[in-house]
Parts: sequence; structure tokens; C-alpha cells
Amino acid sequence: MLKPVLWMHGEALGPANPALVAHPGAPAVFVFDRELIVQAGLSLKRLGFLYECLLELPVTLRHGDVAEEVLAFARRHGADGVVTTAAVDPRFALLRERIAAQLPVQVLEPEPFVELPESVDLARFSRYWRRAEPVLWARAGAAAPPAPARRWDR
Amino acid sequence: MRSGDSLPPGDLPRQFASRTELQASLRQLFPEAVGDLSPIRGGHQAAAAALAAIDPAAYGRSRNHLDGAVTHLSPWIRHGVLTLAEVRERVFAWLECSGQPPQAAAKLINELGWRDYWQRLWRRLGDGIWHDREPLKTGHAPEAYAAALPVDLLEARTGLACMDGFVQELHTTGWLHNHARMWLASYVVHWRRVGWQAGARWFLQHLLDGDPASNNLSWQWVASSFSSKPYLFNRDNLERFSSGRYCCVCSAATDGTCPFDASYEQLQAQLLGGPPC
Repeated sequence: MLKPVLWMHGEALGPANPALVAHPGAPAVFVFDRELIVQAGLSLKRLGFLYECLLELPVTLRHGDVAEEVLAFARRHGADGVVTTAAVDPRFALLRERIAAQLPVQVLEPEPFVELPESVDLARFSRYWRRAEPVLWARAGAAAPPAPARRWDR
Repeated sequence: MRSGDSLPPGDLPRQFASRTELQASLRQLFPEAVGDLSPIRGGHQAAAAALAAIDPAAYGRSRNHLDGAVTHLSPWIRHGVLTLAEVRERVFAWLECSGQPPQAAAKLINELGWRDYWQRLWRRLGDGIWHDREPLKTGHAPEAYAAALPVDLLEARTGLACMDGFVQELHTTGWLHNHARMWLASYVVHWRRVGWQAGARWFLQHLLDGDPASNNLSWQWVASSFSSKPYLFNRDNLERFSSGRYCCVCSAATDGTCPFDASYEQLQAQLLGGPPC
């Protein structure tokens, strides 16, 4: 991709956003998802918090259908593709597919909290934590300390 | 918004003279969105200040208390203004600077792990997080739970100072201490017998850190569709971890009508069908 635009979304609104870091100065857009806002009944508090996060980033703000707006933004800048950051929300995958039907989309991964195989047992937190905790503490050069007894005290 | 702004058609404004002006603009842009701005500000500057102020040791000692040293980082983490990896590194740097043993930061690292765990589950389950992960262990059929929240709860006039206080705080600030979320969710599901999805949807409307995975799966944990037993609390527990701030002004606490003023055995018998868990 020689001339991409960046698609920002609500799971990566910090300066560490990999798309922003990889393409400083590239035109970036965030779209307030009209359908989601109405369906979920999001309060002004939530929208205001997002808005204030975005005001600190070099990003154009739009409101409407996300895929249509991102594609229109790409056309406006004569872009040959879209770069974005991975998101967990399944809505992201649907939007990405709609955009990718018309333009190449590159998805960059943020730094993980802990490196674990995708197949890690998630049936209960305790099983996940048995795998995650030693890996995490190894980063700090320490053995895992004794686990907290319970999450909520009675 | 400033009248001098010259933006391409459809671009939203980025310059505001004040938060009041921002709020007025947002009301025009999103007329369907209810309420006011939160006193909690978005943005990386505010996030960095909150991150610099964390005290993992104090957090570990006091996080269950409403006035404990919780980090308040969740809204910024939810929107990736701060990543979990950045917070992890900040905690490890704090350990190194403070000279404290790893145990001092164990609870905070453990709670960051919960956030990572919910996200991994969301990736695996997708929209399945809106459905019961397991059958309820309450002794009640799913049909026994109402589909909508009661009006007195939404209007913060249940007559219970704690619950009304939590609702007001949720609606005003968009943030609740995690323990308050658990008490409120437990009250909604087990005392008012409302389906957890209605409560989860309500929280997502208001919480600045409203994340479907953390939120829904925590509601399921309370409801018992993602845990081995329902989460119940009693007055002793709430009074202790709220330093009595609600009970001292609550008429139900003195006139004998507090629905939480009982032992766990009594509450299980009263609220749950079938044999006690």
C-alpha cells in the first residue's frame, strides 16, 4: 500500500495505535456508527468521552454508516487501501469485510497483554490464569506471587 | 462549535471553546443520546495522569472498598487510549522503583488479567456473550426473569439508599466502583428477578468503560450462567465495604425493611429456588 488512509475505531484511541505509529501523517478517520449508537441507546456521556479522546488525535470525525464513510474518505484522499488496528468486537469484522470488498485492508495487531496460544483453555478464569500468570511475571523477572484468595471478600 | 470553522461537508467539528460548547454540539449531532457529559474527561492526557497516580500496593489492600485506591483506568483501557500492555509495564516499573516484592502488585496484575480473559472469550464467542453460557443455578427458570428493568430502579427511587445512590452515580458519571456494580447487578437479577441481559444493556448505555465482554460476562457471573453459584451479598458486606455511607441515611436500614439485612443462608432460602447452593 503506497497511499493508505487509516481507519480508527473505538478499541484503539491512543497514541500507541499501531496504524498511527506505522503511518504518521496519513489521513485518519473515525466514524460515529449511527446504527450502533441508536440500537444500543448510548448516552451522551459515552459519546462525549469518545469525542474527547478523538480530539487529542489527528483524525477526521464523521457520523453515519461506517463502511460507507471510510470508503468515501479513502476516495477523498485518493487512497489505495485502508490500514487499521485489530478489534475484538464482531461488528468490526463485518465492517472490515464490507470495506475490503472495495479496497485492500491491512489490520495491524496491538501489543498483547500476555502471549498465549489461541487455544488456551477459557472455560474458567482460573484455568486461563494458571497459564497466563507465570508468563506475565517472567516479563518482570519474577516468579508468580501467591494468587489472591478470592475476587470478592464477604 | 466555532462559527469560523471551515470543514468539508459532513466532517464533525474539532474545535470548541469549552466543555459546555462541546456538550451543546453533541446534543445537536446526537439528539437521541440522553444526559450530559460525564465529569470524567476522555483523552490520553487524562489517562496518563491517572496511570501515573496508580498505587498497586494500596489497590491490593483496599480495592474491595468503595473508597479504596482503585485506579479508575477502565474507561481509557476500554477504548484503547491505554493498552493493557502499557498498564502492565507501568505496574512492573512501579515495582522496580518502589522496591516492593511482586506480591504488592499481584492483585492489580490479576485484575488486568480478568480484562484480558474477557476479551479472549469475546473473540471466541462473538455475539454469543449475549446468551447464557450455562444454565442458571438459581432454581428459577429463565422465563421467571422479567425482560425489562423496573421503572422505580431506573428513576433511582427504590427507597434503598445504596441502590438509588448507585443508579444516580451510574447515570451522572458513567462510572461505578466494581463492587457497586456487583451489588447492583445482584439486586437486579436476584432480588428484582430481572434477566441479566436487561441490566447488561442498561450498563452499556451509561458506563464509560462499557465493554460488552467484561460487562455481559460479569453479569452472567452474578446471575450464575457463568459461575458455579449465584452472587449474593448482604447488608453486612455492603455496609462494611461502603463504610456505612448508605445505611446511615437509609430509612430501610432502621425500620427493618432492608432486604439485604439477613444471613447468606437466609437470603439463599428466600431468593433461590431448590436446595441452597
